Amino acid sequence: MEDVQVVAMLVRRCISGDAAAWEEIVRTYNRRIYNICYRFAGSGDDAQDLTQEVFIKMYRTLSTYDSSKGAFSTWVTTITRNLLVDHFRKTKQDRLTDSIDSTASEHEDALPLSEQIQDQSAPPDAHVRSREVSQTVHSALGKLSPELREAVILRDLQDMDYREIAAVLKVPEGTVKSRINRGRAELARLLQRTYRQVM
Amino acid sequence: MPEPTSNGMQCNEFDALLADAIDGVLSGAQLDRFQAHARTCAACGPLLADAEAGRSWMKELSQIEPPVGLVESILASTTGIASDRLLSPVRPSQAQVSWLERSRAWLASTIDPFWATVRQPRFAMSFGMAFFTLSVALSVAGVKPTDLRQVSLRPSAIRRTYYSTHARVVRYYDNIRFVYELQARVRELKRDVSPVQPGSDKAPAKEKERKNDTTQEPEQKQERNYSQTENAVVLASAPLGPSVNDLPVVSVTTYRRLV
Repeated sequence: MEDVQVVAMLVRRCISGDAAAWEEIVRTYNRRIYNICYRFAGSGDDAQDLTQEVFIKMYRTLSTYDSSKGAFSTWVTTITRNLLVDHFRKTKQDRLTDSIDSTASEHEDALPLSEQIQDQSAPPDAHVRSREVSQTVHSALGKLSPELREAVILRDLQDMDYREIAAVLKVPEGTVKSRINRGRAELARLLQRTYRQVM
Repeated sequence: MPEPTSNGMQCNEFDALLADAIDGVLSGAQLDRFQAHARTCAACGPLLADAEAGRSWMKELSQIEPPVGLVESILASTTGIASDRLLSPVRPSQAQVSWLERSRAWLASTIDPFWATVRQPRFAMSFGMAFFTLSVALSVAGVKPTDLRQVSLRPSAIRRTYYSTHARVVRYYDNIRFVYELQARVRELKRDVSPVQPGSDKAPAKEKERKNDTTQEPEQKQERNYSQTENAVVLASAPLGPSVNDLPVVSVTTYRRLV
């Protein structure tokens, strides 16, 4: 949990041209932003580019941050989310109607999802297995619609509360809850279907 | 759409409580009603199971470490300063910020949003254009910054300034070579193009009037509007219409050769 006063002071120092304050902000938030970008975009390279873009945008608009309107982390997440939505609209990668068996990303060595799960039983190493499960879930997450995906990522990966998510997505809390429920259920159905194909 | 179950809970109410139920914040009678609905409703029961499964799948996802050099590349693309240089200043001294620095930071945070808007190229261009237009208008009107000291703000003086400025602008406009050449050309074109008007038989009528004039005064004195007389277009055509009868009859004999 961020200390509001400390962050506000950090932002003020940044605005007044203190480069060290800006570096502190970058070091504090880069991991969080990178994770959101990675889970949403699906690719490490895209996530890196998007994280950099987020910080550039933040740097330019830092003076518009109003601490009375909400937490700095919410503001940062809102910027990230808006940029991700813009990126999604530009690339339109999620509008492709490919099946779950299609190639997901370069991180899975270009294997279809069902083949990755099939391989899951083979490796003896638990660590490798856990990593593969993680990659499978990551691929399935990429199949969700952007609306459901962003809600699930913010709730289950970023541990944000419903009020904060509602502020970021600019929708009522009820809608946030509904999207999270549908997103989780859809994710489970996708993974169950994949497992059934493997069995 | 599934029907409400015997416990009275609707599916939309179940949907609204689903997230809280998974978070474990439901309790008491509300939790009992929720669980009863999940057991009996054909749509909501599987939804609860899937949502719980989805949440546990999401727990499989761990935090990813950003690539090495990400922070440095971010700093290079924003401030353009290498990270090592930034780390060198002593941090503890910065924690104790003086009131002067604090007030400067507060001022900067207040003024910067406005200043950032003003600095945008479109605003700068608009201001530039407005300044250029104003300076041209003032120079055309003959206003000099040095004259502003002697400006009198009495109503009569303001009125006089207005009329003199207006006259100066009109004179300036009329004296533009292009303008008066264009006006002369348009006047010529009008004169050449204007057709014979049915009302052009006013001249004989005037002649009649002159005949009936009993004032015995010289003809020129009765013509008050000299400028109009000078500018009147002289038509070379013969009058038409009823005034044709006034023309002298000319008899023409045609000699035709019979072959």
